[in-house]
Amino acid sequence: MNLLKSVVYHHFTKLLSLSLVSIASVFSVSASIHEGGDAAAGEKLFKANCASCHRATDAVLAAPGLKGINERWKGKDDLLVQWIQNPQAAYATGDAYVKGMADKYVPNFGWMLGQAVSKEEIGHILTYVANYKDATPPAAGSASAGPDWYNWDEDSSKSESSGSLWWFLFIGILFLVIALSASGVRQSLNNAVLISEGKNPMPELTYTERLKAWMWNNKEFMGVLGFFVTCYIVTALYIAAMGVGVYEGYKPSQPIKFSHKLHAGKNKIDCQYCHHSAAKSKHAGIPSVNVCMNCHKGIKEGSSDVFTAEIQKIYDAIGFEPSTGAYIENYQEKPVAWNKVHVLPDHVYFSHEQHVTVGGLQCQNCHGPVETYTVGRISPVEDNNKVDLPGIIKLTKPTLTMGWCIECHNQASIDLAGSSYYEEIHRRLKDTEVGKRELRKYLEDDQFSVKELGGWECGKCHY
Amino acid sequence: MTNSQSKNWEAGNAENVTIKQIIRMRKKIYWTGPEELDNTPVFQEAINNEFSGEQTVDAFLGDERLCETSTGRRDFLKFMGFSLTSATLAACEAPVIKAIPYVNKPEEITPGVANYYASTYCDGMDYANILVKTREGRPIFIKSNGDHGIEGGALNARINASVLGLYDSARVAGPMKNGDKITWASADADLVSAIGQGGKVVLVTPTITGPASLRAIDAFKTKYAAEHIVFDSISYSAIRKANLADYGVNAIPQYNFAKAKTIVSVGADFLSTWLTSNLYTAQYAKSRKPENGAMARHYQFEANLSLTGSNADYRSAVKPSEYGTVVKAIFSKLLSKAGQSGVNASLDGLDAALIDKATNDLWSSKGNALVVCGSNDLNIQRTVNAINALLGNYAAGGTIDLTNPLNLGKGDEADLARLIAEMSSGSVGTVVLWDVNPVYHSHQGEAFKKALAKPATTVAISLYADETASNCKYILPGTHYLESWSDHSLLGSRVDLAQPVISPLYDSRQAQESLLRWTGVQSSFYDFLRETHGKDELTWNMGVHNGTFVSQPILTVDVVMSADAISVANAITATGSEWEIEFYQKTGIGSGTQANNPWLQELPDPVTKITWDNYATMSLLDVESNGLNKYIAQKDHASVIKLTVNGKEVELPVFPQPGQKQGTIGIALGYGRGANGELVGKAAYQTGTKGEHLTGADGTPISVGKNAFALLTAKENAVQYYATGISWEKTGATYPLASTQIHSTVMGRDGVVKETEIATFLSEKDKKRGEASFNKFVKLGVHQDINGDGKIDAQDALHVKEFDLWAPHPVEGVGHRWGMTIDLTSCTGCGACVTACHSENNVPVVGKDEVLVHRDMHWMRIDRFYSSDYSLERGEAEGVGVIASYGKMERPSDNPQTVHMPMMCQHCNHAPCETVCPVSATTHSNEGLNQMTYNRCIGTRYCANNCPYKVRRFNWFNYTAYSKFKNVNPAQDEISRMVLNPDVTVRTRGVMEKCSMCVQRIQGGKLEAKKAGMPVADGAIVSACAEACPTHAIQFGDLNDAKSKVQSISDNVRSYNALEEVGTQPNIYYLAKVRNMDSNSNEA
Repeated sequence: MNLLKSVVYHHFTKLLSLSLVSIASVFSVSASIHEGGDAAAGEKLFKANCASCHRATDAVLAAPGLKGINERWKGKDDLLVQWIQNPQAAYATGDAYVKGMADKYVPNFGWMLGQAVSKEEIGHILTYVANYKDATPPAAGSASAGPDWYNWDEDSSKSESSGSLWWFLFIGILFLVIALSASGVRQSLNNAVLISEGKNPMPELTYTERLKAWMWNNKEFMGVLGFFVTCYIVTALYIAAMGVGVYEGYKPSQPIKFSHKLHAGKNKIDCQYCHHSAAKSKHAGIPSVNVCMNCHKGIKEGSSDVFTAEIQKIYDAIGFEPSTGAYIENYQEKPVAWNKVHVLPDHVYFSHEQHVTVGGLQCQNCHGPVETYTVGRISPVEDNNKVDLPGIIKLTKPTLTMGWCIECHNQASIDLAGSSYYEEIHRRLKDTEVGKRELRKYLEDDQFSVKELGGWECGKCHY
Repeated sequence: MTNSQSKNWEAGNAENVTIKQIIRMRKKIYWTGPEELDNTPVFQEAINNEFSGEQTVDAFLGDERLCETSTGRRDFLKFMGFSLTSATLAACEAPVIKAIPYVNKPEEITPGVANYYASTYCDGMDYANILVKTREGRPIFIKSNGDHGIEGGALNARINASVLGLYDSARVAGPMKNGDKITWASADADLVSAIGQGGKVVLVTPTITGPASLRAIDAFKTKYAAEHIVFDSISYSAIRKANLADYGVNAIPQYNFAKAKTIVSVGADFLSTWLTSNLYTAQYAKSRKPENGAMARHYQFEANLSLTGSNADYRSAVKPSEYGTVVKAIFSKLLSKAGQSGVNASLDGLDAALIDKATNDLWSSKGNALVVCGSNDLNIQRTVNAINALLGNYAAGGTIDLTNPLNLGKGDEADLARLIAEMSSGSVGTVVLWDVNPVYHSHQGEAFKKALAKPATTVAISLYADETASNCKYILPGTHYLESWSDHSLLGSRVDLAQPVISPLYDSRQAQESLLRWTGVQSSFYDFLRETHGKDELTWNMGVHNGTFVSQPILTVDVVMSADAISVANAITATGSEWEIEFYQKTGIGSGTQANNPWLQELPDPVTKITWDNYATMSLLDVESNGLNKYIAQKDHASVIKLTVNGKEVELPVFPQPGQKQGTIGIALGYGRGANGELVGKAAYQTGTKGEHLTGADGTPISVGKNAFALLTAKENAVQYYATGISWEKTGATYPLASTQIHSTVMGRDGVVKETEIATFLSEKDKKRGEASFNKFVKLGVHQDINGDGKIDAQDALHVKEFDLWAPHPVEGVGHRWGMTIDLTSCTGCGACVTACHSENNVPVVGKDEVLVHRDMHWMRIDRFYSSDYSLERGEAEGVGVIASYGKMERPSDNPQTVHMPMMCQHCNHAPCETVCPVSATTHSNEGLNQMTYNRCIGTRYCANNCPYKVRRFNWFNYTAYSKFKNVNPAQDEISRMVLNPDVTVRTRGVMEKCSMCVQRIQGGKLEAKKAGMPVADGAIVSACAEACPTHAIQFGDLNDAKSKVQSISDNVRSYNALEEVGTQPNIYYLAKVRNMDSNSNEA
């Protein structure tokens, strides 16, 4: 029965493709599909349908490069169209070139899927390929030459006005010298006057003694000055102390120059595609190399050698040979040692799962607009607040400090409906006298905040 | 006080008991040791000073060495300033931390999420179906395989703690030949040509139960014409031989304590170490549920006060040489009930009344009675068989099953004796020793060691270069049971699988695979295992998932009382002597294979509460009359005696043990490991005050305790675990014993332990909580007319809960309220909860020196209280005055009753600790937990001073770094520290800690519920102690959940809060202990 089915099916598809080809050939003008296409339309079509496996150059990605395709297929228009639309059917025709190509690439990369492009569209694509000019790669070694998602030095604050500080110092010393010499001159003059008046000259004073004398003479000024200096020192110390343990903007260099801006920003890869355990574990996790390989098995080149070298680091870790597209047997894997960005103290137990899966928070709420950053960093709270996404909770305390955590736990509300876990909690509140009293307290602001259900308790995070 | 006054109190309305009255009316005195009983000055000091061992300021300043110090005050200040500054600077700079993800992440692992694997623990002695918790590929916790395990996978402290043994850095790292490292290839090449040369080949193993393992052994036997000898560290050969003689089956039957109505144990410690004690513990609790009405009644006849004896309803102390007489007497009395006679039993020196009572109970529960005996004497075991046969206990559904016997204890001492003779005579060419240690475990150890030099090829497949392996030519590291595939079969009816949960940590290979290599099979043992069982993929995968396959029972045995039973009973002979020794195994250390496990060494013995030592237990009267030290305390050391046993001498400290038979001495086996400095693990050796290993004169480290296996003798090739004709003398020396229970006293409070007899309980079991005569609410008199009778009198009293200093925490009925119930009737005191807590919560191990100064860190402790059998009523009946009665109540009885009471943070809703913390480091959660926030704690220790339960522990040292603990604390070993639970903070110096009710599990469980959008199911969250409890005495759950188990149990008439009168309102509820005793014998 199955055999019969498959035979019928085989013949049906064959007939169908033949008739399609013949219909196509009836309607198409005798002109070859290799000429006269629209290169602009072709570019669009190429990027939408072909670019994930083919390059317009002769580079092999997950399939042979298309450069020179017109020469290779000259005179076999119909077969080419059939090959693109239904490769297996074209293979079945027994054409030697098709067979040779299939035998070469199919074992490594598998069959190409039949593409839903018309013959006319194929023509546009071929014209685009024929006219494709290999873009000149950016100058090697210069990262900044690439598009802005490769700008590793972005946002790095310039060492602020260190020059002016030196100027102040210089001027200060100058004034000091002038003041001291002026006072020396004054003393000499005074002594000269005294001598000329026949009096005994003043005893020679050291600079310290003179300074003391001057300060004594200007008691009021010194008092006011001392007050302000003390205030300044205390304030500065306070500010410095408040900064201890605050690592906003911490942005360590990484062993692989990975750009979030490119992956999450430009290519719009979901955060949780790579940090996939965020939804099911306390750790968001750093993606393992096999996750990178999901894409980079195909995407082997960066826009310049510099970035191709970065991609090569993944291959070195897992043992992949990009030229053959195959993994190296018995390869000694080399794990990538990333520098941890978000470091919580050991006595803090934070669960991504709780916040992502249960709380439904967006990654950007705590991590800021990562899709605009190249290197991962502790995003400053101001930047987090600028994120324009629904449901972002705006906070004031520095990111990743406890004040920041509990500030959010005070603001964030919990929807008790819809989850029978919370409905049960709600029911218990309504069913007891103590509960009712608590409930009234909770609902003074018309919402259940995380704090009210225990989110401010030490033992929820420290154990 | 006068008699008339006392009568007035007694005449007061019994329904309204005030605290005052309770104190006056107390019927039993509980005491933790003779120190408390006699109220010695040292004890008084211990009561008043929880944190003893501190130096006073005067003592410090009075130290003359202080003046010799070269550091001046100014220098000191400079150093201080410098360190303060550098510490501040260091704190400002965060270190760069590396995060290294997997290159190829295994599909089943999500970092941060635990995986559980079913496996089986079998070391030849203990057996359990377990689940292994792994985090990122590291096994960190062992729990029972409740769904598919025998008796719900009940486990004990030894099995629970075995995960730590995996990470021992003292394990053999790779194959060795004559002490030099070699490769496996060269070892195999060597051995394939050497095995069989120069004489016969002998393979010695412990009892191996798995079909595949046995098949591998068979292959080896066939190839080399080898002999397979089974050697067990503890012998049960008499039971096997008795069943062979009586019923023609060489087997140990399956005992079912759950079906028993009357249990008589003569010297069998079946709740602690005898056979599969963990399974018996689970069964025992099932048959002793007072709510079900007929509790099993348990009689124990024994010399030492064992854990089992401490749980017995009736216990009689007899000398070990009298076990045969007791068995014979029971047999004789039963025979006469059956209308037969002929056994000439003498009851000289025995408690005839108790034997009578036991016999009557046995006879009336025929078919559901059970008599077990710990003796290794063939005739005694045959008589026990006859008793059980006479009682019809072998019938289908009875208490003993011979058709599906235990596959344990297959060793026969005769085989080992023969092997020693053959080795000495030179007829043995090759000996392969697989996981056995006869040099240590055999009473012929010395002879074995000598004989081991003779064979040309001696191979030890072992985890350690231990006493036996270090005397072998080849030491081939075997794998830990968590590193390899294996199969086990405790019962013929099922095969249990053990699977690897981690790759081997060292260059090791499992023994089965080595045997296969040498027989020319190149496949892995896993393939061999698959092939042996021949299951299809689905069945196999299910088997691995469940940890077991179930097959069918295999034997049919016709059990009738042996015809020569009477002559066998009459043949029981034993000559007693003035002094006898009974050798026993401790609950933690067992036979000593895990003597290097610091968790087990620090686990206090359930009865003596002593850690890190073995000792000689003697009766209080013997200790007193011989002038030995009766009070063991921090500065009051035990007297050391020199024992002469079978021509061998050993010196041991004496511990006065209530309940010990006069004229007997108890000595634990399993100590004194690595006495010649063999590498058996760091924790097997004594440490000094600086943490260094103590060494003897010749530089070898001194083991913890003394090896008592060497003192054993055999009778007709069966090792006897007692010795007669011994002598001892005082040496005048003293030795410190580190006990955990001297500072944790009940301080005379009677609200700690409540108990009653079964008849009283049954007559009152339908009363409401707080109304039963044995468990009344504590009420306080008030100046208000509460009952509305128009006058203010003693009847106007309110429950202590009504008196508050502070506003109550809104936890009752609101949200969750985590709580625990602990059934003192079910709790046997086995200690599995203590090691489980250690393992789950990274509780530091502190070593003997610190335990000695009462700085043990156990979050969960089990208090053991003895009671006096004297009461005010009895005093009244005997016409003794009240004061004299109190005096008598404080006298020890020779044979005290015992209560085991697990004690941990009670999570009081009115916690006294919370109100005194100056920095709010300990606070109350809205879920009823008393939270401890380490990062806030500044170590004032006010909370510990204010805790009425004394459950708070202070980190005196940085246990994970300070060199004093390098040899005891696993966290200090770079391999052992992998056992730490990443979900729990490792505490640092200067902070308080205590039971958190496994808050990490609560948080995890709530999260699972929230993710599923479902309320937390009862039983979904279980604390580590409740999970480990083989009897389910500890239950954990949400007290606000009306359908939860804990909620219904806490409403039970037996339920009470410890120290209720203090008004702390704990979330832990205890259930009063019910003894299956006749009410007239010891009224409550």
